[in-house]
Amino acid sequence: MQRSDPSEKRRSWPANVITDIQFWVPVAVLIGGLLLLLAIH
Amino acid sequence: MSALSTPEIQGLGQNTLRLRKLQGLGVLCGFAAGAWLGAAEAPTKLVAVGVSPVVISLIMVIGVFLARWSLPALILGTSSIHADVRRAPHLIVWAILAGCLWAVANTLTIFAIRDIGLSFAFPLWNSNSLLGIFWGFVFFNELQQAGWRRWTGVLGGALVMCAGAALLALASSTQAPAAHPTRGVWAALGAGILWGTMYIPYRKAYLTGMNPLSFVTFFTFGELGMMAALAVSYLGVLPLWHELLRARDVLFWLMLGGFIWVIGDLFQQYAAKYVGISRGIPLSNSNQLWGLLWGILVFGELRGRDASLYGQVIGGSLLMMLGVGAIAFSSAGGAEEMRWKEAARREAWRYGIAADDVEARMEGRQAPGQVQRGRSAWDWLLVIGATSVLVFFATIARVPQISANWGPAVALAGALLVLLFVCGLRLWRTTRFQ
Repeated sequence: MQRSDPSEKRRSWPANVITDIQFWVPVAVLIGGLLLLLAIH
Repeated sequence: MSALSTPEIQGLGQNTLRLRKLQGLGVLCGFAAGAWLGAAEAPTKLVAVGVSPVVISLIMVIGVFLARWSLPALILGTSSIHADVRRAPHLIVWAILAGCLWAVANTLTIFAIRDIGLSFAFPLWNSNSLLGIFWGFVFFNELQQAGWRRWTGVLGGALVMCAGAALLALASSTQAPAAHPTRGVWAALGAGILWGTMYIPYRKAYLTGMNPLSFVTFFTFGELGMMAALAVSYLGVLPLWHELLRARDVLFWLMLGGFIWVIGDLFQQYAAKYVGISRGIPLSNSNQLWGLLWGILVFGELRGRDASLYGQVIGGSLLMMLGVGAIAFSSAGGAEEMRWKEAARREAWRYGIAADDVEARMEGRQAPGQVQRGRSAWDWLLVIGATSVLVFFATIARVPQISANWGPAVALAGALLVLLFVCGLRLWRTTRFQ
């Protein structure tokens, strides 16, 4: 395994998080869960 | 292509041996997780009805919060958590997100049990393991190039466990027919989807080598924050406060349940780290089996029921054990492990973490240049503070008047302690709790 080159980092970590599809899947599911709670309450 | 030299071959052999050892450790952690998560239900059974389910959930989460801060401080010290956060600060967001998912899922299960009963709700939300397998495959290369035998073992095992869970839940149900079946089904399915998706942040953290003890420390902020917000929105601040005051003599038992749950969850986190979510989650879902053992043997829940019910319990238990065995014997092989490393490289590249750091931590080793600091005065303060809170609530707790069989309770508690000791020792010897 090679060490990743720090110069390859183009964005800050918050920008990396919000452009990561793997972040939006749980967020979408969480919003869906809250809406479901709201609907059944 | 040049032939490998003898030291290179020896290095590869040692690496394979190390990975096999970690896989075995992950499976053992999955078993221990099931036992401790199942036992967490026992203290809550001591609490008489009359406390709102949302309040019960909130108090358990407060116990969880105490444990999630004090246990990591006791085991490794908060300096190790600070080091993890400095190395990969983005993982705080993932941990809090996972905590929020857990709290909403837990609240949905309350509605599911109320509307369709445990017998239908439990198998529905236990399907989270199937979703965990799906996300593991899609996002983290789990089960890729695993071969049909491992696929059959994992997927077949998870399906057999779901069937066993359905039988056990049917047997343990004492509820009246469903009042709002559609609403209850949606709530149970929703909980399963939320819990199944919660494993995305878990795996994400462990692919980048985060220590499970650091992950749970931040997870609990999402968990407690979301649960408190839900409790306040359902009951209002003053009614919630009055209900907490009214329930003060049972708060200890609920907090104790939360504390025991955290120990199980810690083992679940290590299982997710070392065998992946596709295998770790179904293994820890064996908690239902342990919960039922406590219910039947200690609290005599099926006393006086007919023989067919016992048939269901025995059949369901055998199915669950069969599923657990199938998954335990389907550990990842060399080709699949290479695919895991590809997923880890993606994370390292995306978030600018040194790849050799990630590889070392994935293998439960200290990263190059990583300094292991001891516990500080702050760590001991945290441990003493959390213990004092629990001791305070223990002093005002009412000893419940409940008939329980103490012989089996001692035997089950002994089994838990043995698992804790064996698993803890292996974790320490193999990974130093990395």
